[in-house]
Amino acid sequence: MSNAEQNLAFERLVRPHFDRLYRLAWRLTGAKAEAEDLFQELLIKAFGKLDDLVQIKEPGSWLCRVMYNLFIDERRRFARRRLHTVEEGQLAGEGLQGLPGPDSPARNHERHEQLSQLAKALSQLSDEHRAVVLLHDTEGYKLSEIEELTGTPVGTVKSRLHRARSRLREILAANGTIS
Amino acid sequence: MQNNDINQQDQEILELLKDYPMPAADAGFYDQALVRATHEGSRRQRNRWLLTGFGAAIAATLAVWVVGGMLLTTPQLPDESAAIPGVTIALEEARTVNLVFASATALESATLTVTLPDGIELSGFPGQREITWETSLNEGKNLLPLTLVAVQPVGGELLARLEHDERNRTFRLRVDVT
Repeated sequence: MSNAEQNLAFERLVRPHFDRLYRLAWRLTGAKAEAEDLFQELLIKAFGKLDDLVQIKEPGSWLCRVMYNLFIDERRRFARRRLHTVEEGQLAGEGLQGLPGPDSPARNHERHEQLSQLAKALSQLSDEHRAVVLLHDTEGYKLSEIEELTGTPVGTVKSRLHRARSRLREILAANGTIS
Repeated sequence: MQNNDINQQDQEILELLKDYPMPAADAGFYDQALVRATHEGSRRQRNRWLLTGFGAAIAATLAVWVVGGMLLTTPQLPDESAAIPGVTIALEEARTVNLVFASATALESATLTVTLPDGIELSGFPGQREITWETSLNEGKNLLPLTLVAVQPVGGELLARLEHDERNRTFRLRVDVT
């Protein structure tokens, strides 16, 4: 297969899943630059596995799993970088910058402030807890889908979801964001 | 706390989470990511072959000259940011490492913070682990020479964090000491 044919085959396999992958990258990282880096690194890795990728029945699910593993590996290897990420997440508006549009619920100032507080609270969760709560409660993934994505037993996923919600409740109640 | 209160709070949190915003990718980002993936993927495949044949010494030599780069203005991405570059320096010997910051536009009043790993000092800043200063970037590539000195036989990751208008990127460089 020529390089051009190889590139075309790769694009046909991955492009249909770009929106889903980008959303996942955003939910995992919570920051634009990191989401783009993660998305990019996934594509580079997937291109290197093209021979395997063409054999896979559900490349979208496979790509999501690889992305999740890349994210977790990266966080484990560069714990120091994660500390920076937490600081970034605690900056006012980080992750929400430029998002409220004319039809957005966040147009309302109070709602925007609540969402900013939510962003800060989410940044205080562990990577695993933040991922579970965002995938389940924001993106609507089923528990079984999170199990498949993360390779974590569904019981552990449930436990993480429960703890993540409890921690969010503590933080948001303490600062008056929720009643 | 009463269960009713907890349920009410959970409901409020769920509603917030459902509204938690999610921006679309910038126009052109997917296309650029795809081009970069095929280019970088091919390069890595070639590099794997080269390293197998000629040993890691080649990589170490190249890393001295091309340590990486970054763009503040996503979605464009630089050529060398995917892999973490590294340099090897000798104990007590000053070594200048050139960092390249590529910016699509000129940036005024950017803040650059360099965080050093254990055992590494920046020449002129003895004993400081973190050095921050304000700088400006020209459009295109901006060279930042950092003269590093290994004062102990340990190394780690050097972080160079560039911030401008609430946006930031962190560049990592592995520093090994022999």
